[in-house]
Amino acid sequence: MAGDPRSPRRHRLKLKDFQDRFQRAILEGDDAILNDIPDGPRETKTNLLGIYRDAYPLRLIEVIGNDHELLRTYVGEDRFQVMARAYIESCPSQHPNARWFARRLPEFLSAREPYSRQPVLGELAALERALNDAFDGVDAPVLSMTNLTTIPPESWARLSFVCHPTAACLDVYSNVGAIWTALKAGKEPPSCTLSKDATRILVWRHDSTSMFRELTAEEAMMWEEMVKGRRFGDLCEMLAIYDDPPGAPARAAGFLKGWLEAGLLSEVVPAA
Amino acid sequence: MRAPANEEGRPPYLGFGLGLRPQHYRDILDGNPEVDWFEVISENYMVPGGQPLAILDRIAERYPVVMHGVSLSIASTQPFDEDYLDGLNALAKRVRPKWISDHLCWTGVHGVNLHDLLPFPYTREALDHVVSRVAYVQERIGRRLCLENVSTYVQFGQSEMPEWEFISELARRTGCWLLFDVNNVYVSAFNHGYDALSFLNGIPSDRVIQFHLAGHSDMVNYAIDTHDHPVRDEVWDLYEAALQRFGPVSTMIERDDDIPPLADMLDELAHARVLAEKVLGPKLHASAARPPTAA
Repeated sequence: MAGDPRSPRRHRLKLKDFQDRFQRAILEGDDAILNDIPDGPRETKTNLLGIYRDAYPLRLIEVIGNDHELLRTYVGEDRFQVMARAYIESCPSQHPNARWFARRLPEFLSAREPYSRQPVLGELAALERALNDAFDGVDAPVLSMTNLTTIPPESWARLSFVCHPTAACLDVYSNVGAIWTALKAGKEPPSCTLSKDATRILVWRHDSTSMFRELTAEEAMMWEEMVKGRRFGDLCEMLAIYDDPPGAPARAAGFLKGWLEAGLLSEVVPAA
Repeated sequence: MRAPANEEGRPPYLGFGLGLRPQHYRDILDGNPEVDWFEVISENYMVPGGQPLAILDRIAERYPVVMHGVSLSIASTQPFDEDYLDGLNALAKRVRPKWISDHLCWTGVHGVNLHDLLPFPYTREALDHVVSRVAYVQERIGRRLCLENVSTYVQFGQSEMPEWEFISELARRTGCWLLFDVNNVYVSAFNHGYDALSFLNGIPSDRVIQFHLAGHSDMVNYAIDTHDHPVRDEVWDLYEAALQRFGPVSTMIERDDDIPPLADMLDELAHARVLAEKVLGPKLHASAARPPTAA
């Protein structure tokens, strides 16, 4: 009967074996499952199974494309398709939520030939991933300058700060920030340049928008130490060792003001 | 089976809803449109924080919300992802959905997720397996689960019963609710050459608490459940038949690709209201009080 394709003579696969076989049909192109599929009323079983086979990479390419819109633009559609299929084959999804499927793409592009020959590809993917993570990262209060106005000046040296939980750093060797900015604006990206030394990029969320900016070596150092819980007085001393001792407190105050205005801090820890 | 904890009986009739999509956030928040309720894709909001959850909080303050998942993999022979179930519970605690649904399918085994709603043979072994899994999930989420029939493109020689018989038995043995996807019934019936009314008439009417309507792609020799078109006439016809059999059931329209402006979705939803009024008349109005929304 139609809708009831039961067949009394057929050897019955256990559900576990059936699912193993069906999954292999999709992932590896194994045709064994076709032995258990009847032709449809108007279409061959091979073509009907093909709907699942075709949908699998297409769906995941869409997921990767949603997370890495600018990488897709940067490499062009044809190369993106090849790159995405290579990733899908190499890194099958292991998470029930497709939101996390493309997480390993930056590492994949940095390690896998031929993409690893262009470090900017992995770095652009890493920057997009960090921005995505910041977008729906953990919520937390945002510290403002007014929260600090009641603190007496003599206590400042012993204050420490907690950064917003969405704040994250990545080190890059290419001009990926400029490339991202141009792509985002729909402009022709600059030529890729590589440097011997890393540039630190800070990514975070401010007012529901993911942001990033490059840090100078001095600000990167102060940020790193601040995140560790160093007190403000210690940070000033570290800046003084770094450069221009008399100007260090003013520079430290300037960095702190910038972080407060950018919504990068969540909490001030009072002087002990 | 024993009723799960916090069993509260049949969920309320919600009227006519839409799938919540980011493209419509602004119009919903600014316009308070005439939608009775929203269905949200659970996985889209199973994230640590940020704008999606903040917007969902605001919408859940104004409208009844139903959670609809795509990753439960209820028919898989792989153990459940307990973190996923924890995440589902955490989201439910936050948005207080009227019910929680997912699909009667599997999505992968051996630690791999294919992110597709995959078919399986309707055997007694599979039925026992899914019954035990539904019971487990119902205990974990503290309420009855609602399960949706999926569109399928292949059938299996080893099936021992038609899909509707499998679903009926599953509902009878677990007490789960059913989400009757009208479009999926049409698509599967077309692809497998059976009468959609056989499916419809084989489903127990007292378990269906939600209808899905959606558009599909007509590929001439087969149909694909793409959710990128308006609802087709043949699916509206089947919707009328479903209303006749099941009575007033909370109805919503799914659109996942080529998403039109909210106004277009509201027009389509208005058509569902008109059909329901035509089929059910006063019976619809008796149970169709729109839930209160914030001013």
